[in-house]
Amino acid sequence: MENNNNNYDVVIVGSGIAGSIVAKLLTNAGKKVLMLEAGLAAGIAMDQEANYKNYQDYLSTFYNASAKVPNSPYPNIKDAPSIDVLDIKKTPSTEGYLVQMGPIAFASDCTRAPGGTTLHWLGTTLRMLPNDFKMKSKYGVAVDWPIKYEDMNRYYEMAENEIGVSGNVKDQNYPIEQKSVFNKDYVYPMKVIPISYLDKVMTDIIDKNSKIILNDKAYKLYCISTPQGRNSIPNYDYDINGVAWNPGTKKLDITRNRFKEGYNPVGSNWDPYTGQRCEGNASCVPICPVQAKYNALKTLRKCDMGNLSVKTQAVASKLLINETSNWINGVEYKTYIKGSSPEYETHTAKATIYVMAASAIENAKLLLASGAANSSDQVGRNLMDHMTVLRWGLAKEPLYPYRGPGSTTNIPTFRDGEFRKDHAAWILPLDNWGWAWPTFSPGSDVTTAVSEGIFGKELRDRIENRVTRQFFTHFECEQTPDPNNRVTINPEYKDNIGNYRPVIHYNATEYMLKAFEASGVVSEQFFDQCGIEDFTEYNPQDPDYVTYKGKGYSFAGAGHIVGTHRMGFNKQDSVVDSDMRTWDHENLFLVGCGNMPTLGTSNPTLTMSALTFKAAEAILKQLEQ
Amino acid sequence: MEPISTSKLFLEASAVFTGFSKTELKATGMLQSYHNTILKNTNKEDIDYFFIDLNQLLTDPKQDAKSIKHILTTQFMPISAYGSLAQNMIILWYTGNWGNDVISSASYIQGLMWDTIHAHPPGAKQPGYGSWSDLPLSVKQSTVKSSPNGK
Repeated sequence: MENNNNNYDVVIVGSGIAGSIVAKLLTNAGKKVLMLEAGLAAGIAMDQEANYKNYQDYLSTFYNASAKVPNSPYPNIKDAPSIDVLDIKKTPSTEGYLVQMGPIAFASDCTRAPGGTTLHWLGTTLRMLPNDFKMKSKYGVAVDWPIKYEDMNRYYEMAENEIGVSGNVKDQNYPIEQKSVFNKDYVYPMKVIPISYLDKVMTDIIDKNSKIILNDKAYKLYCISTPQGRNSIPNYDYDINGVAWNPGTKKLDITRNRFKEGYNPVGSNWDPYTGQRCEGNASCVPICPVQAKYNALKTLRKCDMGNLSVKTQAVASKLLINETSNWINGVEYKTYIKGSSPEYETHTAKATIYVMAASAIENAKLLLASGAANSSDQVGRNLMDHMTVLRWGLAKEPLYPYRGPGSTTNIPTFRDGEFRKDHAAWILPLDNWGWAWPTFSPGSDVTTAVSEGIFGKELRDRIENRVTRQFFTHFECEQTPDPNNRVTINPEYKDNIGNYRPVIHYNATEYMLKAFEASGVVSEQFFDQCGIEDFTEYNPQDPDYVTYKGKGYSFAGAGHIVGTHRMGFNKQDSVVDSDMRTWDHENLFLVGCGNMPTLGTSNPTLTMSALTFKAAEAILKQLEQ
Repeated sequence: MEPISTSKLFLEASAVFTGFSKTELKATGMLQSYHNTILKNTNKEDIDYFFIDLNQLLTDPKQDAKSIKHILTTQFMPISAYGSLAQNMIILWYTGNWGNDVISSASYIQGLMWDTIHAHPPGAKQPGYGSWSDLPLSVKQSTVKSSPNGK
């Protein structure tokens, strides 16, 4: 894929979903693109055989991993390390890739490999809600976005087309003033992923009960199906064909089929006939064996390959800035041979426009290392995640978990409301994988029973009886921006080839602690009314254990790393404008979750992808000026 | 101490301790691999005494099911008995792990705990589109009444 022509229009750093969307749109509009990817060359293989072989290696590594955490299938390269949740310890800690200064540990990971974190994402593709874009003016909390929901609608449609979302628009009933957040007659590309048996049983119970009192106000819990980026049955009412650059209007156009042909599910990268439907592997995180779940390599394969050059094992280390014009002159990057040795070569990539798509943490780190884009002093700040409080218990009847995608139904009751003036909103997914996340079930159930001396038929019956009744849900609380939650760098902490390691400062504000408290109030009533015996236990030894008003809570990360180079209204309050161009450098764009001023209660990938279409539109416009 | 063929007894012992039938165990294809795993990772003396004592217990005409269960519980299941062989063997069959180590891709995939809970190992033996929306097939089948002439 090496292109000897050095006259690139754009250099993109990172081959995850943001980088791949930009590359696809630009190369198909005739622009020459060089993509730098820190991960191993094997991961980007575009030919069928090498692609298949590499993916089977990932799968085999997953099978053989003793802790099947999100990054377990993928190589952790010394020369371009990934964050690993197994390294999360009490702070301060220098274990693993992140340097965690505390007072509490940042709890999420991401993947540095071709395709980025979409390799292990769950695939939930909910849109953000209208009020999520105006938290300051509506609730007096956090900041407003410089973009309204209404501006995002068409970009959401583009992102849902690119990812291939399965869902039912009619189910999407949110606790908001608007009747619908979708355009009239809009449908998702594919029909809803069937909800689980567990969802059906629990929805029936929740519908009959679950009037919750919180802070003297009554709320009704209700269940809706969750839109997801995994293949199901094409929806023949869906008429969007794709997205194309219109050089006349200088805009991206949504192109439509003239006849109702429906959406073509994109199968695996090695075989279009594998993965056209979700097959129920129940392993979306960390790996979908058939690639029915979207990953960014599917988008990358749709580039005009004649216009794309990819350099793998190429770790961006510094942006070069022209001191007089303040434009970016080049990206310095280090290429490694083996991934484990400290030997590398330094090169410079040059183009007209530069796009950083290396993840929220890596983007911030690279900007700080380059002294770039930081006249606002906001680079690295406002690091956010969904601070996730886990709750688990045993139902009276078997729910038969450990089947299907990780979550197919959610309770949206607390996604929006006046309470956001006081504490964080959350989404409450019903989880299909039992207590796997909080207790490493069912393996831990076996070892516990065996250590109690139980064996034979009695053991088999006990595991069946208990594990099939496991119910698990988690409160994904919207963390609000705090300038002190941040990524910094320190010359003391560098990786194997002399690049900075991210140094993290992180804490939970009272706004979050109040949400944890509220999650306890809600889940107690919820479990009680639904006949769920609560087994939740928060251990003061957990790395992310916090206390509020005498009660302890452990939270986990949701893998939603957001907010390190926020978008805003002016160059004093933010790093990028609403086109995701840095205020300081006219030819430097940032894409990815780092741009998001606030997080809302939806998993950020869909919103970030929608924003990336908007950024690509601005990049194309600028290139054609 | 008479030398004893542990390979024959391994299947017998596995069925006793896991609660799965010999046919179910053989169908996993893991018998040889797991036998090798315990030979490799357990003290030889512990293995020899374990199988001699177990063989004696199971072939003793004076024992009935109740007394066998009692002796298995008190003499074989404790962590102090035969280098924890019984406990390790059960965990091996149910999870595919020896201690924290996964023996192989196959051992992960064949873990008995997944059958036990009417599910499948995540990432393998996928039951197909939409299957999760219904009761597991193994549950449905067990609730179907067998016909009077059925075998």
